[in-house]
Amino acid sequence: MKNRHPNSESTLLTRRTVLGAAAAAPVAIFLASCSSTTGSSSEGKSLTLLTYDDADPAKILRKQLEVFRRQTGIKVALNTIPGSGAAIFPSKLRTELVGGKGPDVWRIWGGSIGGPFAENSFAADLTPYYKKYGWNSIIPKSDVTGMTWNGKPYGLPLYGVTVTAWYSKDAFDKAGITAVPTTYDELTAANEKLVASGQVPCGLGGEYGWDVMRLFEYLLEKNAGPQLHDKLITGKADWNTPAVVKSFTELKEWADKGWLPQGVMGLDPNNTEPGFTQGKYAYTIAGAWVDSQDIQTAMDPSAYSTFQLPTDRKPNRHSGWVEGFMINAASKSPDNAAKLLDFLTKVSTQKALQNTESTVKGAGPDPSKYPASVLNAKIGSSAPFYTIQDQALPAETANTYFSIQSEVVQGTMSPAKAAAQMEPAIKAGFSKSSK
Amino acid sequence: MSTPDSYQATAYTKRRRLAQGLNVWLFALPALLAYVVFLVSPAVQSIWISLTNWNGISPTKAFVGLDNYVQIFQDPTALLAMRNNLLWTVVTIAVPMVLGLLLAVALNGATLLKPFLRTVFYMPAVMPLVAIASIWSWLYDPSNGAINAFLKDIGLGALAHPWLGTSSTAFGAIMVPAIWVRTGFPMLIYLASLQGIPSELYESAKTDGASAWQCFWHITMPSLKPAHYIVLALSLIDSFKVFDIIYAMTYGGPGNSTQVLGTWMYFNVFQFYHAGYGTAIAVFITIVALACGIPYVLSQMREER
Repeated sequence: MKNRHPNSESTLLTRRTVLGAAAAAPVAIFLASCSSTTGSSSEGKSLTLLTYDDADPAKILRKQLEVFRRQTGIKVALNTIPGSGAAIFPSKLRTELVGGKGPDVWRIWGGSIGGPFAENSFAADLTPYYKKYGWNSIIPKSDVTGMTWNGKPYGLPLYGVTVTAWYSKDAFDKAGITAVPTTYDELTAANEKLVASGQVPCGLGGEYGWDVMRLFEYLLEKNAGPQLHDKLITGKADWNTPAVVKSFTELKEWADKGWLPQGVMGLDPNNTEPGFTQGKYAYTIAGAWVDSQDIQTAMDPSAYSTFQLPTDRKPNRHSGWVEGFMINAASKSPDNAAKLLDFLTKVSTQKALQNTESTVKGAGPDPSKYPASVLNAKIGSSAPFYTIQDQALPAETANTYFSIQSEVVQGTMSPAKAAAQMEPAIKAGFSKSSK
Repeated sequence: MSTPDSYQATAYTKRRRLAQGLNVWLFALPALLAYVVFLVSPAVQSIWISLTNWNGISPTKAFVGLDNYVQIFQDPTALLAMRNNLLWTVVTIAVPMVLGLLLAVALNGATLLKPFLRTVFYMPAVMPLVAIASIWSWLYDPSNGAINAFLKDIGLGALAHPWLGTSSTAFGAIMVPAIWVRTGFPMLIYLASLQGIPSELYESAKTDGASAWQCFWHITMPSLKPAHYIVLALSLIDSFKVFDIIYAMTYGGPGNSTQVLGTWMYFNVFQFYHAGYGTAIAVFITIVALACGIPYVLSQMREER
């Protein structure tokens, strides 16, 4: 008789089976994940769309995507990263794309934020679709330029942001300001009056740098003038120049005279921006999104309006930028994605989306509901814009600028030293980005 | 003398040992595979990326050797971040350890109120850091924050200050909530250890005329040695990889004054498109954290033996 182990063969087999299955399961999962397709996930009659819409705009967008589905049979799955902003959203998008699971279509800012997606072949060249759908005839060339890289349009800009000052009429009345400022002297006089009436004039928050930057770039436009300003933000002029020194000097003056909130550099702009509708500050510097986000949710929306920051220059330019959509170069349904973009360009869609910053001709904001946005759009169309600094400068250079700006406001760096330190930072930034 | 039966028995034993050996590996395989796929492989990949000039998005990358590591020691912000890390590590370990020990000693025992107080003091440790960052940012608000309002109410309005908006105070201001959050953990470890000290030791010491201080210093403190070690080692690793609370409260600012290596790594990888350099910072943080963790692991291994 054979000396057999008490465990029967069948028991051993069962255990082996269990062990084998246990070992095989993770392998199978791993292999399954490896074998899944790279590039966009959709094929056929479905698309994926990634945006940074907050809850309410996302709800409206979903409704329009349902209209699109009914019209075309193409189902669009919307994924949003609400409140992520330009500091966070691009990195999340990049992670998805580099991981091989990017969406078919995504919303993105123009300039140096959207640029890397175009320049690294993640976004599709939209030239054929511009021709096919005639987008050039409905979207101004200046806006298309904001999403053009290496001479090709990689994005469809549907949002043209015009940065203006948004103010509380009550705050101005309380300070005895009878008309909105039309010169820099009038603006500073208004600030003086607001402070004298116990109010903080300009509600900005410096935590991320970019909000206070909106004031600095305005001062730079005023002091340098359009030509020099354009050269400065494209690295073609020396920043160690009197116009830059004067701009930093005035920025410091704004902080010292109480025209900005106390401790401005530690404040979150998400908290300060709505302050003009909450009685905390008299005005803020922003785009027309504050109309739908803050003014329309205030007790009396008619108590707020907007005015252009006066540069005392001709043309009286304003800061601005574009946002729009890109199509994944690896999308399996680029034509359907383009169909979706074309659907979004329709005036009826733009109006349904309540886009108060629409670049589409004839899709301006509703005057009965958004009078301040209408005024903002009018300012936007009356003069060209200079690209907002954090989209004009390479990201690392913008961060260096934020650091210098912070030190100037705190008084730990002189305006002259700030201008001197900006110059090598700009040169290094543009040198790296051109490589 | 060997018989056919004994040969069979030996062969069976060999097969059995082999099967058992294989079984061990088969049982370990799922966990090992997950470990390799989700930890070892990304770690190796990260080390490779840190030796390249990859921008984090381009399909191409070039080998640059140790350039990125050299750059860490030439980058003023990285050096500032290192100094901040060191300061952060010292303060957010020493203060919570001392406070945690004091609280543990005070709350050790079995009265009705003590379990409630233990919960109260441990509660910050289980709160999400982002929520804590938001709460403390509001408290620090220069115009509407409770801290400045309190200072004004008690006649110390001159001390009211934009705590997070000034480079000189921002880093210290973030340390306060960090200490608040991190006191609960050492308190819990010390409490557990305190409850393991035999009461006879204290009774004998008191019979011999020892004072409360002598009891604490000669009985409590030596008995807490393993607890000190655990708290120190884990806090050290935790402190060195700080990221979230700074990111949420100041975003590394004002300027770059509150940057630590974790946030500077994030900025480089995700904001500046310097994935190679940022990953080198990440590897550097890991090496330092590992160096801090090795003595703890060795001590655990010695105890197991």
